[in-house]
Parts: sequence; structure tokens; C-alpha cells
Amino acid sequence: MQVNGQLALTVLMGIFLVAVAAWLARIENWRSYTPIGGGGALGQQEGYVSEEKPSGIIRWLTTVDHKDIGLLYGTYGLIAFVVGGLMVTVMRIELIDPGMSFISNQFYNSLLTSHGITMLFLFGTPIIAAFANYLVPLLIGADDMAFPRINAIAFWLLPPAALLIWAGFFPIPDLIPAQTAWTMYTPLSAGVGAGNQANAGVDLMLLGLHLSGVSATMGSINFIATIFTERGDDVSWANLDIFSWTILTQSGLILFAFPLLGSALVMLLFDRNFGTTFFAGEGGAMLWQHLFWFFGHPEVYILVLPPMGIVSYVLPRFSGRRLFGFKFVVYSTLAIGVLSFGVWAHHMFATGMDPRLRASFMAVSLAIAIPSAVKTFNWITTMWNGRVRLTTPMLFCIGFVSNFIIGGVTGVFLASIPVDLILHDTYYVVGHFHYVVMGAIAFAGFAGLYYWYPLYTGRMYQKTLGKAHFWLSMVGTNITFFAMILLGYGGMPRRYATYLPQFASLHQVATIGALILFVGQVIFVWNFVQSWLEGPTVDDGDPWDLRESGLYTAEWDWYDQKLQTAIADGGEEEDSVLTDGGDEEESVRTDGGDVDAADD
Amino acid sequence: MANKIFDRDTLLDLTVNVVPLFIIGFFVVGFVVLAPFGIDPLASAIQFGLLAVPFVLLAVLTYFAGRAVAGAEHSSDVYLPGQASVRGAEPLEEFDDTPESLERDQTNAVEGETADDAADDH
Amino acid sequence: MDAEPGLSEQYRMASPWPLFIALGIPIAELGILFGLLPLAVGGLLLFGGSVAGMATESGYARTPWRALVVVAIPLAALGAGFVFTTINLPNRGFAIVAAAVILAAAGVVGSAFNTTNDPTY
Repeated sequence: MQVNGQLALTVLMGIFLVAVAAWLARIENWRSYTPIGGGGALGQQEGYVSEEKPSGIIRWLTTVDHKDIGLLYGTYGLIAFVVGGLMVTVMRIELIDPGMSFISNQFYNSLLTSHGITMLFLFGTPIIAAFANYLVPLLIGADDMAFPRINAIAFWLLPPAALLIWAGFFPIPDLIPAQTAWTMYTPLSAGVGAGNQANAGVDLMLLGLHLSGVSATMGSINFIATIFTERGDDVSWANLDIFSWTILTQSGLILFAFPLLGSALVMLLFDRNFGTTFFAGEGGAMLWQHLFWFFGHPEVYILVLPPMGIVSYVLPRFSGRRLFGFKFVVYSTLAIGVLSFGVWAHHMFATGMDPRLRASFMAVSLAIAIPSAVKTFNWITTMWNGRVRLTTPMLFCIGFVSNFIIGGVTGVFLASIPVDLILHDTYYVVGHFHYVVMGAIAFAGFAGLYYWYPLYTGRMYQKTLGKAHFWLSMVGTNITFFAMILLGYGGMPRRYATYLPQFASLHQVATIGALILFVGQVIFVWNFVQSWLEGPTVDDGDPWDLRESGLYTAEWDWYDQKLQTAIADGGEEEDSVLTDGGDEEESVRTDGGDVDAADD
Repeated sequence: MANKIFDRDTLLDLTVNVVPLFIIGFFVVGFVVLAPFGIDPLASAIQFGLLAVPFVLLAVLTYFAGRAVAGAEHSSDVYLPGQASVRGAEPLEEFDDTPESLERDQTNAVEGETADDAADDH
Repeated sequence: MDAEPGLSEQYRMASPWPLFIALGIPIAELGILFGLLPLAVGGLLLFGGSVAGMATESGYARTPWRALVVVAIPLAALGAGFVFTTINLPNRGFAIVAAAVILAAAGVVGSAFNTTNDPTY
């Protein structure tokens, strides 16, 4: 029986390999290779002069163009965002009443685990990579990434990673989703004891996480190499844009953090499957927490630095001024990058570690608040007396600052040991980090998606829907997560599928907020997809009127050039669009200038 | 050389990272003077190591980043961030003015155009 | 469209290899972890073959054949590590070694049969 299974698997695998080889042979003429450049040591030198790509789906499967890969990352990230959002919607519905039995407790735990991992690893990191892939080469005047093929590999590792992480939810016999929470603390995640976490679903999730880590590491090496070596002649360190600075810092963090996660995951997999005892016993549990958080805390900054870069980049464009204290922002970004590796055990204050060590982690955690606060003051000062235009991206930037202040200040309190010992493992923590990840990171992502929408789609989004999306998100975020902070003050512990009756009203408030958020995101998806398909085309290389305030930047210049080339070529497919184009001019202007545009 | 790169403006920019350094330093002094949990060879070594390592790394990184940025300012045209590769972009105000241009040519010859070169030769 | 030969010759911004490298890694990992040895071997073949193909395409290797042998060497070492060290997972180790052997054999056979093509490089 077993032999037959192996045999069948061998045959299937063989057929698959032959099919792949046949497909490759069909599209690749292996004998047609000509020597590339003399030594041929530089792959990317072979000349991207020819813009040709195959058409149809083959183009997307084989592309190594940074813009295409950026779009793939973005699509992937948004799909993951939808999945993670639906998961948490189900969870919040379950929490509407303590006696609710909409889903089982096990399923709640599964959703809790997958929601966290999906949002952090399958939405957060990829959506940042989407912006970085599309924009960094444009902003620094590079032809493409330093290693375009590595770039493609890094992306294509992600879909298998998602399938593995979600595998437990698929109707596969004997497979259940992981219920370890995203922190995967041992001994639970080691599968020992009476629980059901020895199931292969956990192994698959760990493998998927490992893959996403490999992907992120490949991407980060690529970004570091690109920013160091591929900058245009005029792009020096002194005028490198803030977004590229944050991507550079983030890539440095990934480079040191993710391999450690990968190693820890492999050790855990060995513990689970091959009888090793890395994480056995109390010491092992502490070892896991140290390894995990030595990755996990930098991961927080991996996720937040590039969004801060987006806000630092977009917010001045709609304030009519340069970013106040540009270099403060750059240096404080670097400071966050370094200090983020010195604070990991502030997640472990309650573990009973030596009080001396705890005190040191508290000190560095308090110190790291400063660079973040510096940025906040810079954003506010940039808007101060500026010619603020409340476009959708700008609204999201302001929402970012607002939410980040609440998320940040609640975090400073958690950095203090005595406060943390009270609030540890309560909803306060959940509220705190959701203010940062949803209220700030996702908001900055939206700001970027709207700001560069004309750049990557060639079309304009619907501004009313965009603003509805903002207000629903802003209101929903604050209702949901402020209620969570209050729940935490009341002592509501994290991660439970039910609660004591005294917490009912605040939980219901949080659920209502989550539903408001849900409606907002439905609007977003509708706006995003419909505008991409049918929105008015943008024929202006400067859709945000940045030239007049002297804030025009390289990526729009690239877009302008592209438009001009398309016109020179007699851009055929845009035929029907000219009429829309007229409308679009107006819609752009209204969105861009409905507040203070009259001033000039 | 270092003095020319770390002029008053650059030092002012770098103060942003001096603040967290100061906070860490403050706690180091506090833990030495007050020693609230007593001194134990291993635990205290780790305790101060956890403060010293980020302190040193941050100081070093701040130094090199400041040198790279300020060095690039002194050795090539400065544009508004994100504008350097825009067609027809004009460099920001004073940095390519005449008083400095002579000196700039010299440093250019030695340093090359990028800041990392500048950082290397010190 | 896909009937046209020489994808990466014609389309400078396209390469078929990354997709399969990325597919080979998880297949091989799954196979090695769960002891599904055909998956392990197949995934590694897919991975190794695609690495060799990509190295050739981007000009790091002149022919895919020698690159296959080069890829096989670390794989063989990894497999030997699984078999002979305290990791002590002989079946999985042999699967990795088998993949290495197949890759190396493909490389040897390929270069033997394609000597006539060498002068064109």
C-alpha cells in the first residue's frame, strides 16, 4: 500500500517534470544562446533596450521586469489582505456575544493564527515589496533591480508559501489549521502534550513561513544591492529619496532578522518531526521566545519603516512644502533600524527573566521611542502652515499620523516594565499593535496605493469612493481598536473565543467598528478594481500638480516620459479613451485641489 | 577632512540620534550608580552589554551615515530628494556655488563621486 | 505565442526559470520533511535544473550542462550530511543524493551529446 503510494507519487512527479521540461523546451530554444557580452559576468547587462515581453499569462509567469513584479506583489498582497480581513470579520462576529457559537473555539484559534500570519507575512511584507519593486528603481534612476531574476524568484516563492500557510483550511483529510497563534510559542507549537498541534497542518504552516522568509531575504539582498550600486549618476546619498532610505534600512533589518526566523523554524520542525529537543522544557520555551522575538521585534520595524517612508514621501506633496527636517527623518530611520535589535525581550517582561536584563530592555525600548516621535513631529511640522490639499492619499497620511500617535504612545507605556506586567497579554496590547499595523501601516499602504494609482494603472480612482474608504477606515479603526485598549484596561485577556459578560458592550463596540472597517474595505476593493478597468485615463504626467510647488519627482517624470512615448508611437489602444480623458482632467483637479487650491 | 564634512549643519542634523544615545547613556549611569538589583558578574555583564552594543552600533552607524550624506553634499550637486533624475531638474541652491567649487574639484578628484568612496578613504 | 522559440533571447525582460526555481524549493522541502521521497527528488531536480538554466541564461555559465554538475555538488554534500552525520535521516539523505546524481548525470550526458554545439559559443 505504502509502496504503491510512493510509486504513484513518483509517476506523478515524473509526469510533472516532463511536462515542465517540455514546456520549457517549447518556449526556450536551448541551442540559440549566444555568448552574452565578453565575460558575461553581469546578467542584467544583456540589454533591456528591447521592451519586449511575451503576451498573455506567459508574460506574468516569466516576467523579470521590476514593475511587473511590483504589480504581482501588489496583487498578491491585496488578495492576502482580503483573506486576512475576512478571517477577522468572522472572528469579530463570533465575539459579538459571549455565548455566540457561530464558529467553534478551535476554528476561532485557527483564524486567529492565520489572521496574524496572513496580515504580517502575506500582506504586510509583500505590499511593501510591491511599492519598493515598482518605485525604487524609478526613484533612484536604475534600469531595473540589480538581480532581476532573483527578484522574480522571491515573488514566486510567495504563492506556494500562502498555500502552505492556509493548507489547513483546505478540505484535505486529516489536516487541521495551526492554532499556535502567530508567535508559535513552544511547547504548544512543538506538538507535545494532549493538544492537537502535532497535526501536519502546523508543519505546513511552518514551511510556508520559512518560504516567505526566504523570499523576503532574497528581496532584501536585491534592494540593498540595487540601492548601493544602481543609483543614477546624479542620485547621491545626499539626495536619495526618503522612501528608498526606508527600504534600504528595512532590507538591512530583513537581512539580519529573517534568516534567524528561518533557522528557528527549521529547529522547530526538527523538534516536531525528527525528535530533536531544541525547545524542550522551560529553557527551551525561553529559547524559542528569545529567538522568535529577536526576529519578531525587528519585524515590527520591517513593517513600519517603509510605510513611514511612504508617508514622509507623500505627505509633503500635498502640503505644498518639502519634508521638514528631511535628514532628521533619515537618521532617525537608521536609528530605529539599529535599536530595533536591542529591544526584543520587552515582549517577554512577564517571563520571569533576570530583572537586570529586563531593565536594559526597557531602557532601549524607551530610547527607540525618540526616533519615532521625531518623525511624527516632522510630519506635523511639514503640514504646519502648508498649503494642505485633502486628497485621498493625503487623508490617509494624516490618518496615519493620528493613528500612529495613539499606537505609539500606548506602546511607550508598554515599554515600561511595571505597566507591562499589568497589561501584558490583555486586549490593550492587541489594541496597541493594531493601531500601528492597521491604523498606520495599512493606512500608509492605502495612501501609496491611491497616490501612485495613476502611475501603475494609467487611470484615476473614483475620489468619492476613495474618501468614503478613508472615513470608514478611520472611524472603524478608532472604534475597534480604542475599544480594545479599554478592554485591556479592564483586564480582558487576549486570544479567547469568548469572554466574561462584563466585557460584552466593549466587545460589541469593537465588532461594530470592525464591520464599519469591513464596509470600507469592500468599497476600496470595488473602487480599486472598477477604476482600474474603467476609470478615466490620466494623460497628464503630473496628475497631482506637483510641478507648481516644485515637488515633482522622478517616478512621475518617468510616467510623463512614458505618456509622451506612447503618444509618439500613436498609442493605439488608448483610442476610446480620449473622451474619458477630458473628464479625467477635471476629476483629477477636483481631487487634487478642492481645499486650498484657490490660494494660488 | 572630518571637520570639513561634519560642519555645523551636519552636526545639528545628527543630534536627532544623540537623543536616544543620551537616554541609553542615562540608564547606563543610573544602573551603575544605583545598581537597583545588585551586581552579578554574568547578569550585570549582559545587562550592560545590552545597553552598550546598541549604543556603539548606533553611534557608528550615525557617524558613517552622516559622513556619507554630508560627503555627498560636498562632492556633488544636491537636488531635492527624489528629483535628481528628473529631466531638467535644477540643483538646490548654494551647494554648487563658486566659493566651494574649487575645493570641490579637488575633493572630487580624490574621492570620486559617491559617498561610500568618501567614507572608505578616511 | 509560446510556439516561438528562444523566449529569453527574444524577450529581454522575461525568463521562464524563476517560476520553476521557486516551485522546486517548496516541493523539495515538503518531500524531505514528510519523507515523500519522490517529491524530494523531483523538487530538487526542478530546482537544480532551473538554477542551471537560469545561470546559463544570464551568462554566468556558458552551457547548462556543467552548471548542472556544479549544482549537484552541494546537493550531494547535503545529502551525505543527512546520511552520515548525527542528523541521521538516511532515507531522506539518499533521496537528496539521488537527485544530485541524476543532475550530475544529466550534466555529463548533456555535455557529451552537445559537444558539436560548443564551437558556436
